[in-house]
Amino acid sequence: MTAREQEYRELFMAEALEYYDAMSRHLSELERNPQDVAALNELFRLMHNLKANARAMGFVDMGEVAHKMETLFGQIRSNERTFTGSLVPLTFRAVDILGNMIRAVGSGQEAVDAKSLLENLEHLIKGEEIVETSAPQTEDEAESDAARKLELSDLVYIPVKKLDNLLNLVGELVIDRDRILTLAAELGHPALQATARHLFRISDDLQYSVMDVRLVGAGVLLNKFPRVVRDVAAAENKQVELTLAGQDVQIDRNVLQLITDALLHIVRNAVSHGLEDPAARQAAGKPAAGKLLITALTERDDVLIQVQDDGRGINTEAVRRKAVRQGMLTADAAAALDEQEVWALLFEPGFSMAEQITDISGRGVGLDVVKLAIDSLGGRLRVNSELGKGTTFTLVLPTSIAVKGALLIELDERAYAVPLLHTDTVLALPNDQIFAVGGLLMTRIQDENIPLVPLQQLLYSEGDEPLPRATRADLPPDAGLHQILVVSYNNRRLGLLIDRFLRQQNIVVKSLSKPLDTIDLFGGVTLLGNGQLCLVLDVPALTRLFLAKRP
Amino acid sequence: MNKRILIVDDSFYMRTMLKNMLTDAGYDVVGEAANGQQALEMAVATNPDLITLDVILPDNTGLDVLKGIRQQQPDAKVVMCSAVGQETIVNEAIENGALAYIVKPFSEERVLEIVGSALQGDGSPA
Repeated sequence: MTAREQEYRELFMAEALEYYDAMSRHLSELERNPQDVAALNELFRLMHNLKANARAMGFVDMGEVAHKMETLFGQIRSNERTFTGSLVPLTFRAVDILGNMIRAVGSGQEAVDAKSLLENLEHLIKGEEIVETSAPQTEDEAESDAARKLELSDLVYIPVKKLDNLLNLVGELVIDRDRILTLAAELGHPALQATARHLFRISDDLQYSVMDVRLVGAGVLLNKFPRVVRDVAAAENKQVELTLAGQDVQIDRNVLQLITDALLHIVRNAVSHGLEDPAARQAAGKPAAGKLLITALTERDDVLIQVQDDGRGINTEAVRRKAVRQGMLTADAAAALDEQEVWALLFEPGFSMAEQITDISGRGVGLDVVKLAIDSLGGRLRVNSELGKGTTFTLVLPTSIAVKGALLIELDERAYAVPLLHTDTVLALPNDQIFAVGGLLMTRIQDENIPLVPLQQLLYSEGDEPLPRATRADLPPDAGLHQILVVSYNNRRLGLLIDRFLRQQNIVVKSLSKPLDTIDLFGGVTLLGNGQLCLVLDVPALTRLFLAKRP
Repeated sequence: MNKRILIVDDSFYMRTMLKNMLTDAGYDVVGEAANGQQALEMAVATNPDLITLDVILPDNTGLDVLKGIRQQQPDAKVVMCSAVGQETIVNEAIENGALAYIVKPFSEERVLEIVGSALQGDGSPA
């Protein structure tokens, strides 16, 4: 059974059991008062729905029983007959049998025999008398029957809104817990400390349980793609062999919702720009059908969703030329960028590689939309490509959006949080490992030159003027080691000079409310255990600011 | 811009199935209403390109809801969803401005064909 079939089956079951309960209730009402029009209408509607749903699921007998019952209630409704005589016990029995059939679907038991019931219902509809076939129930059977009627469904459907609310409350609780831990440590009272530690464990479990409830299989989204890919491929005259993997990887339902459009964009892009048409593929010695692989996998606390094609790959030189032609940067600057940096240009606003706008992708909307969606979640986008071999886009997403791992740093006696998703390395460098190039301080890590900038300059500089040109003379001669946090965004690394590192901590990020929500250097705010407010740095915004203001 | 569709059906299972079919085909399902009152409110709030409307609803008949929608939004495009054996209601719905009807149980091809042609005249789904 596919994940979607499984989902439909569970939905069907949950709703059918609800219908069954309501049918039993309304049937009793109708028995008490055969003129109860509301109960009659409901019975008609419920039978009608159960019939349609059962037929859609392919449960022929169940659909047939519900259909005949609907017809009977329809006849009563139009005064062709009354709810009296042998019809009454038969309808009760029919509802019981429907209940058994529904439960049999859930437990995978063999189908309930409905032959004699269907015959009797048919007799009634035609206005004939029914044939009594079943032996009277024994006491045991009656008892187990009664117990079954009281069975409640094991599935509960919860609106996402209620879960959001629950998660917010847990967020508040975690903040108070951290305060109590801090206070207990300050007071040094052993019993209080022990209680605080216990509170810590319990609320930690609670937090993970609530987060766990919100998780769904990535398949909920991935399974939508065969259809999308088929349509795009048909419109573009491409042949695509799609493979999905990792549908069972668990991810927060809201994260999945927020990336839906982004993923759709990347997949369409892969088919229409990534994969070549069959003739071009064969000329390049590849099979006519392009391979597209959409995979979900977990990596530490993150969920990765990869879209991998075996198409033409990104033509780095073409991107360079296009970026220069679109006035994004000078030819010299473009030439100085390495491969990864050039690919990062694909996600800049307004950049589009489409030479001609096709119906499916292109249309002036670039991958920057994708980037924006991923940024808003605190996720990352990675791209890897080999000319002629193919391209892989990787969305790095948090499993849950509520709690984030963060590094707490201090600057001017104030704590700031930086989401771990964007932190790359932590460095402590002496003066002689820092050099100045073109007005920027730099250091070298793993053969890569990383620009360094005092975080203070980024946070405090106003206006649009470029940052002051830095030279090595700015470094105090006896400064000891410089504390540097290397952050990464869009394949770009940037070293932030800070005062000191505090610690790593899980934080609950609250968005800034009006009017502060326009300050885009901060992704939100969090409360620390000591009650201190702590701003969460928005690394994408800081990186963009640095690029805009670099001397 | 994807075409925007409002689904009106009192069965959660049916709504989900219809929604999956439509979203897979590139439509945006902008709302799901489970009764007539919700349907009228959501039709105004979302102003969809198309409404799929079940003929039997808990608080009202689909036919009355159809009339209500056509009254508040004369240009609204409505496709009825019905089971076999409700031809009279369906005929009356067509007379009252419904564009077409889909018979339950739905086949995906049929749903997309009917929705597509009901929307035709102003573009394709994706």
